[in-house]
Amino acid sequence: MSDDAKKPEGAENDAAVSRRQAFVTLGVGSICAACAGAAMFGYEFLAPNVLYEPSPVVNAGKPDGYPAGSVTQDQQSAVYIVHGPEGIYAMSAVCTHLGCLTAWKPELGIIACPCHGSKFTRAGVKIEGPAPHPLPWLRAWINEDGDLLIDRSEPLGQKQFVRT
Amino acid sequence: MANSLAEQLANLRDTRVWRSIFRSGFGPTNLHRALAVQQNVFLHLSSVKIRKRSLSFRVTWFLGTLSLGTFLILVATGIPLMLYYHPSVPQAYADMKDLRFAVSAGVFLRNLHRWSAHAMVLLVFAHLFKVFYRGAYRPPREFNWVIGVVLLMLTLFLSYTGYLLPWDQLAFWAITVGSNLISAVPVFGTKIRFLVLGGHTVNANALLRFYVLHCVVLPLAAAIFVAIHFWRIRKDGGIYSGEIKKP
Amino acid sequence: MSEPKDFVAAMDSNSRKTPVRVAFVTRRTSPHVKAHDDDTVMTFPEGLFRAAVAVEVLALILVAIALLWDAPLEGLADPTVTPNPAKAPWYFLGLQELLHYFPPVVAGVLIPTLVILGLIVIPYFKINIEAEGLWTRNRTQRLRILAVVTAVFAVFLAVFHVYAVLIPTLLIAASMFFSARSTPSPGRFQVWLASKPLSFWIMSWFLVQAAILTLIGTFFRGPGWSLVMPWSGQI
Repeated sequence: MSDDAKKPEGAENDAAVSRRQAFVTLGVGSICAACAGAAMFGYEFLAPNVLYEPSPVVNAGKPDGYPAGSVTQDQQSAVYIVHGPEGIYAMSAVCTHLGCLTAWKPELGIIACPCHGSKFTRAGVKIEGPAPHPLPWLRAWINEDGDLLIDRSEPLGQKQFVRT
Repeated sequence: MANSLAEQLANLRDTRVWRSIFRSGFGPTNLHRALAVQQNVFLHLSSVKIRKRSLSFRVTWFLGTLSLGTFLILVATGIPLMLYYHPSVPQAYADMKDLRFAVSAGVFLRNLHRWSAHAMVLLVFAHLFKVFYRGAYRPPREFNWVIGVVLLMLTLFLSYTGYLLPWDQLAFWAITVGSNLISAVPVFGTKIRFLVLGGHTVNANALLRFYVLHCVVLPLAAAIFVAIHFWRIRKDGGIYSGEIKKP
Repeated sequence: MSEPKDFVAAMDSNSRKTPVRVAFVTRRTSPHVKAHDDDTVMTFPEGLFRAAVAVEVLALILVAIALLWDAPLEGLADPTVTPNPAKAPWYFLGLQELLHYFPPVVAGVLIPTLVILGLIVIPYFKINIEAEGLWTRNRTQRLRILAVVTAVFAVFLAVFHVYAVLIPTLLIAASMFFSARSTPSPGRFQVWLASKPLSFWIMSWFLVQAAILTLIGTFFRGPGWSLVMPWSGQI
């Protein structure tokens, strides 16, 4: 006590203010930390870990079912199976613009999107409309049973054909 | 008979119970009228007196009042509708059919809810433009204008989340297109879309999330912002009724 | 010698509202009432009564509509069939119309964000608060800026074939030039237009544009987002 009394008055006030400041900083800091933690856990909570969605890999049946020069649209899985001169390839039927389901127009020989009027060739290349990218090609392969399998989860970077 | 009814009502207003509920007594003076507003938690968002000119139809077209009116109608119809609605696939759609064919007055409540929602969007937009053309956004009302813009966005979100709930073709594809717009947001687009939908496609999770947003989160937010909006009208000097002309 | 007074005192008497009001007016200005307080009325019952009547009329209209027309309900949601055309709620159809012309990041993200930000900042700019006629000063300079902006914007819209925006934009720009015209005896309409500030023009442009795009999206777009007539039954 006596030491304190000897100190000039201002010094004690400074010490008091800085102590208060320290507590304020501690309090605000811990609130910030709690908010950051809550945001992180909130994000983790909101992003579901288990999804009850259909499997990305679909079985398209025997490749014989797709005669040369044909374009087949699988409505259920939203893919096209095209048998071109170089072989069979699979393409997503979901428009790259806003996710509408495109449709194959056999009389025009093109793929058209009903929502905003994008049109694509049978190779997925955009002819006209607002779609920013061509229709993505999907990985396709033949399993040991001889069935054509298509993986819808990842778009392929390059062209890939299945030869029969 | 009528006279005695009025007398009884007057007597009722003099009872201790009445006064304990409404705090102020009922009477013919301006003091009583002022207290009726000032002593009420909801009404006292408004001031006790308002400018006579701001009450004329020409000034506001009552667009703000009418927007609040549609909001109240939507709450009043939305809560009963919730009692017959399950936010699950495909039960939600079956509930729409039930509301139409099996629930008494169900189709009326749904119609009123739907058309009022459209009316609310229209009225809120009209309110925005009317306030702009009157110049009522100018200081000191600038922050209330910002709150108004927030309320406009809440209105659009409310209407949009409600759009999915019937789980029909119209709903599904409107939300599919709309949620794919979110993916166009640079960098975080796909992540945000995943969080909003609770999955990669519009599905049961998305329906449940939109239901919670539509019935709890957004109405609550809207109610809070409406309260601030009204309170700010009072604090910023009342309803703007144009430049004051020289006498 | 006493200092000369730097002010004169005047009294206002409106004893019904304020008992007494003393105004000190500095020298070289004249006492002169610029603004009067408006007459006020009690919120309860005058204001609340009118609000209640307005809401009741609205409720009556909406109930009548709800009794006469059923809310739309289509078939069960089917992810394998996209209806043709697939349309958003009407208030987003203007945006959907823009999506037809521009990539999603522009029409779906950039434009709405700019609109919202634009709305928010309106009251924070002095130019919008003073709201002085667009041509009251720097007339030639502003005309030049308007010409350049209109030309650049028009070329941009023409490149993207957005005629639904291009034509109204040109019409509004034309009326801006019309309002700037200096004639010896301008008509009343021109005087009214000339008194309008820049924010009036931008907001009116936005309003006209939003209305036109929404109407086109609602009534003139059919299968594959192609242009159809409203009575063709394909909407």
